[in-house]
Amino acid sequence: METKISELDGKLVATLNGQLDTAAAVQVEKELKPLYDNEDKDIVIDCENMEYIASSGLRIMLGILKKAKQHGHTVTLTGLNDDIKNVFKMTGFINLFNFE
Amino acid sequence: MKKIVSQTKKLLKGRTWLSLMILGVALLVELISAAQYYYTKSILEEELETRAASEIVTKAILVKGMLNTTEGVLNSHVDDLKQLIKEPQEIGDALESIVEANPYFNGLGLAFKPGYYDDEDDLFEPWAFNINNEIKVMKDIAKRGGHDYTTLNFYTQPIATGKPYWSDPYIDYDVTKKFITTYSIPLRDSRDSIAAVAGIDLSLSWLSDTLNNRHIYPSSFCLLLTDDGKLISQPASNHPRHCDFDDAIRLINDSTVHRRVVTNTKINVIEFKSEKDGEDACVFFHHMKGNPHWQVAVVCYDNEVFGQLDKMRFRILLLMILGFALLGYIIYRFFKNNNQLIRSETDRQRIEGELQVAQRIQSEMLPHASVDHSNIDIASTLVAAREVGGDIYDYFIRDDKLFFAIGDASGKGVPSALVMSVTHSLFRAIGSRESNPMRIMQLINHAVCQGNDSSMFVTFFIGVLDLPTGRMHYCNAGHDTPLIISDTASKLNVKPNLPLGVMEDWQYDGQEAQLQPNNIFLLYTDGLTEAMNSTRQQFGLTRVISQANANAGVSPQRLLDNVLREVHTFVGDAEQSDDLTMLAIKYMPTTETFILSREISITNDLRHVETVNDWVEEVCHKLSMSESNTSSMKLAVEEAVVNVINYAYPAGETGDISIEATATAMALKFKITDSGVSFAPTDAPDVDTSLSAEERRIGGLGIFLVRQLMDTINYERIDGKNVLTLTKLR
Repeated sequence: METKISELDGKLVATLNGQLDTAAAVQVEKELKPLYDNEDKDIVIDCENMEYIASSGLRIMLGILKKAKQHGHTVTLTGLNDDIKNVFKMTGFINLFNFE
Repeated sequence: MKKIVSQTKKLLKGRTWLSLMILGVALLVELISAAQYYYTKSILEEELETRAASEIVTKAILVKGMLNTTEGVLNSHVDDLKQLIKEPQEIGDALESIVEANPYFNGLGLAFKPGYYDDEDDLFEPWAFNINNEIKVMKDIAKRGGHDYTTLNFYTQPIATGKPYWSDPYIDYDVTKKFITTYSIPLRDSRDSIAAVAGIDLSLSWLSDTLNNRHIYPSSFCLLLTDDGKLISQPASNHPRHCDFDDAIRLINDSTVHRRVVTNTKINVIEFKSEKDGEDACVFFHHMKGNPHWQVAVVCYDNEVFGQLDKMRFRILLLMILGFALLGYIIYRFFKNNNQLIRSETDRQRIEGELQVAQRIQSEMLPHASVDHSNIDIASTLVAAREVGGDIYDYFIRDDKLFFAIGDASGKGVPSALVMSVTHSLFRAIGSRESNPMRIMQLINHAVCQGNDSSMFVTFFIGVLDLPTGRMHYCNAGHDTPLIISDTASKLNVKPNLPLGVMEDWQYDGQEAQLQPNNIFLLYTDGLTEAMNSTRQQFGLTRVISQANANAGVSPQRLLDNVLREVHTFVGDAEQSDDLTMLAIKYMPTTETFILSREISITNDLRHVETVNDWVEEVCHKLSMSESNTSSMKLAVEEAVVNVINYAYPAGETGDISIEATATAMALKFKITDSGVSFAPTDAPDVDTSLSAEERRIGGLGIFLVRQLMDTINYERIDGKNVLTLTKLR
């Protein structure tokens, strides 16, 4: 699982590549710490190349969202494949995030 | 404003209707009373005239009779008196003896033509009188006080006409001082020339007494008048209507006053008002036939005739008002009672309707569709004694387990139905997340005991049958012992515990049993064993067992049908006293042919999750599953395994986890086994996916996802191991 964080048009963009399974989640959570700490920017998570997500991955997403909302910012997910989108649907997370 | 107007109108409408009705009744009463009054009055008027006429006629006959008698007496002595003319000396004695013989007459005498006898006075008038029953004879009346009879009518008329004559009444000042009338006839001597006039005196006070002796009405009085209207006889001067005597006489004599003839008679009637008090009165009068042509008059007063009528009218009015009031009250009561009847009938229908709805709700709460699982066959029956009852049975499948229960609330009817509904709902609610019958029972008992002031209790049996293995966990709360039927029927080993609702902190014991293939598990309520026939004999457990033995090997439905038929035969015409409920479950596991069987073992380390994921992917590829389904299987197994890694073993302790994948043509199963602490992930609460980000908990998603991704998940603690089976239908 590879992660990359950058800024684009004043937004914090995180790019996730590979499988976000339970084993990977611990490491990913650490790497995405800037997203937790962010207080002044909207967040975009690029999931174009994310192949898989387990519930631990969803937890990370929810944690980031809760923080962002505290500061009045949005979290937008982009490029989800159908299987992952289905997981978001099943868990009701589809209602929580912005999707592009 | 409009509202007020319309409400007032409404109120008035009600009031108006009532007022109109009362007014109508009052008018009707008055109308009837008035009509009756006038009808009766006209009858009375007719009656009055008839009675007055008859009185007048009667009085006239009376007077006439009296006069005739007088005439008769005189006429009978005419010959004797003629003889006496020759012997004037004898006249006095003869008159005396005649008067003595007829005490009703005042006197009898002869008035000779002046100078008839040479040796007598010129005016010779011998007369015998009855004065206080003493007879006196006077021959020289003419001498006294200048009594010149030749100027008096009693003498001149017979002399002039040669016919008898009744004098007008006069007072006999000379002798008796009485009010009298004289009947006189000419008396001829042997030469057939009139020698004298014979006269007989009749006292009129006697007439008056006779005429006013009795009257049709108390105040009425009778008058006797001469032909030209002079008073002959009147009642005593102390008569209450004394003042009207003169008035009546004046009216009769005044021919200008309007008079009316009473129908079919010659009687006249004049209406007038009494001088005394203005009372309406009428005078009836009539001329007697023949000589003397006197008049008889009767005066009657309206108040005596119609006064009673007024009283009667008042009484009838009062009676009618009372009658109508009574009638009104009766009608009111009738409608009120009727309304009550209608209301109680409506109430009865409403209660009946509500009971029918309750019955439908209760029966709809019972499971109807047979369970969709190849490992079991279920049949059930509930025959309620009333519309609603205290018995229930229930069953449902969750996580490859059959949850079932049977129960009987104490009492009958609505109260026990309500208690049972609560128990039933609790069973459903708690059973949806709790798989241990003992704990389900404990929680239901706790809830039922809360606020159970009516001391209702429920006998209940809960079983949870693990469908893959046939292991049955159960807990009994004072319910009838179920039977396990293989080749023969035997009682299940149960601890009775206590019924639900009796003791809040009672610790219920859970038990286990293993069902063998084709065993039938039969549950029932005491309505079966205690079904009574007309001799109050109970069906009894022995009959149930012998029926079960006789029906070993049949389907659950056949078993219940046969038992029920037997019960009906036994009970006959006796009324069903209690609900009768049976539930039969046949366990018949299918033998499966695996087309794939793989196994992997890991230790409880999250780093092994990727290994498991790869293994699942390999299994799925072997079964040629799509990428999407593969991804789902991978995610489900990963979440289940992570759950075990996180919770099965205490932190820092290494434990084994084995995962077995088996596939049939129908389904793919993953069985995850660990030796950790007993933990049923199937009892984890559902996740509320409708909450907002702020409300969502971090965590708890794993097992939720497994449920979403798989068709069935089944947990069973077997031989000290947690066994979680995930099934995906293919």
